[in-house]
Amino acid sequence: MNPNLIPAALLLLCTASASAWAAPGTVLRNEKLYSQPSASAKVAANVAKGTPVNILAKQGGWLRVTAGRSTGWIRLLSVRAGAGGLGGAGVGDVVGAATTRSDPSRVVAVAGLRGLTDADLKQAKFNPDELARMEAAGVSAAQARSFASRARLAAVKVPALPAPAKSAQPASSWETN
Amino acid sequence: MIAQRVILTLSLVAFSGVAAGFDFGKALEERINKELNREQPAQPAPAQQPADTAPAQNAAPTPPANQKIDARQLGFALFGDYSIEEENRIGRQIAGNLLGAVQLVRDDKLQNYVNLVGNWVAQHSGRTDVTWRFGVIDSETINAFAAPGGYIFVTKGLYRRLNNEAELAGVLAHEIAHVSQKHHLKVLKQSSLIGALGQAASSKAKDSDQVVQNLIGNGAEIMARGLDKNAEFEADRVGIVYAARAGYDPWGLPAVLQDMAAIPAQDSRTALLYKTHPHPAARLDALGEAVGGRLDAVRGKEVGDRFYRIP
Repeated sequence: MNPNLIPAALLLLCTASASAWAAPGTVLRNEKLYSQPSASAKVAANVAKGTPVNILAKQGGWLRVTAGRSTGWIRLLSVRAGAGGLGGAGVGDVVGAATTRSDPSRVVAVAGLRGLTDADLKQAKFNPDELARMEAAGVSAAQARSFASRARLAAVKVPALPAPAKSAQPASSWETN
Repeated sequence: MIAQRVILTLSLVAFSGVAAGFDFGKALEERINKELNREQPAQPAPAQQPADTAPAQNAAPTPPANQKIDARQLGFALFGDYSIEEENRIGRQIAGNLLGAVQLVRDDKLQNYVNLVGNWVAQHSGRTDVTWRFGVIDSETINAFAAPGGYIFVTKGLYRRLNNEAELAGVLAHEIAHVSQKHHLKVLKQSSLIGALGQAASSKAKDSDQVVQNLIGNGAEIMARGLDKNAEFEADRVGIVYAARAGYDPWGLPAVLQDMAAIPAQDSRTALLYKTHPHPAARLDALGEAVGGRLDAVRGKEVGDRFYRIP
């Protein structure tokens, strides 16, 4: 290999890996940027809901991001990845949503997608052979426990999460029906 | 509730007035009056869900277990809870129909691996009466499904995006939560009156599968209809805890949601997913509200080394 090309190749590699890490995202709620991935670390900055960020790295439940001129760690669940902005389909997605959802032919036209459109599910006929195959692949609780212990997975006591008060209204319909 | 009943009764009176000549209308009226006039459950309550794990809002008293009226004729409870046998029959039919639309991936190692992970996670769901089966289905779309009775499906398209066992555990835990919280059964119960009367009206409902099929509609369309968005938020909230209890890094499911959030909405592989689920960004938001700092002390394992990759 031409030695003159090595620095160029290295530069290319760096650019590629940097762009792989730096993904766009949006802050979902008013949050803090911490200097370390821990809520007990020093607060580096405050970020407002809707702030665009660049995601640099992920560690457990934390993302390292830059927001404006600040860099720090933010809770994973306080950021959405992607270019969609706040909420569901953001500005960038509206065009796509308009073309997919209002144009059913587009969904059908996709090559190579086997059997998971609405129509396919609706017309599906009971397949006893495939069901038998699936049932035969089931494992026992003992097999699963032994499998878990091979990766040193052990049961942990974790309390249930409360339902957020915010979504109290229709959530109750699930409990009362 | 009482107001609803009055309205229901009134509308039935009106209905029966108009449709006096139809047996079907009369049957409907009789059925509902019978139910509405019932004061007390005639039978003791069936065993409650195993005390567990269920999130705090599940502590709200469940409505008193109603007796099954005419269960033999109708096959399924109109107002009571489904028994595990009924749940299994319903789940079997839905799972078999789904597999009529899309086959399992022909990879025994993959299917065994997913069953081992899934069964281990399900052991932390508190439901011990279910026989759990997991399957990867041969579709490049990005989705996962659950049917009552413990049938769980992940598409090959979603599986390929996963990076470690904790992410798989998170996806399966979300689906396991749909089963443990009986989300589909609740939907079916709401529509079972119509379904049951439909089958009573057509005397064709002789073999059991046909009875169930009448209940669930066409094919596996119940999978395309999806669930209430709050059921999806609940499954995220409950599922993340199941995965953590199984010893996995709890951030597997959120990582998958982040990955999906970054897929443009016009990507057709997520068309059905977005039709049946809230956008991943909304799910991350809701899950963040519920989690806050509550899982900060949990140290789970990602288990990347033995994660099975589809060749």
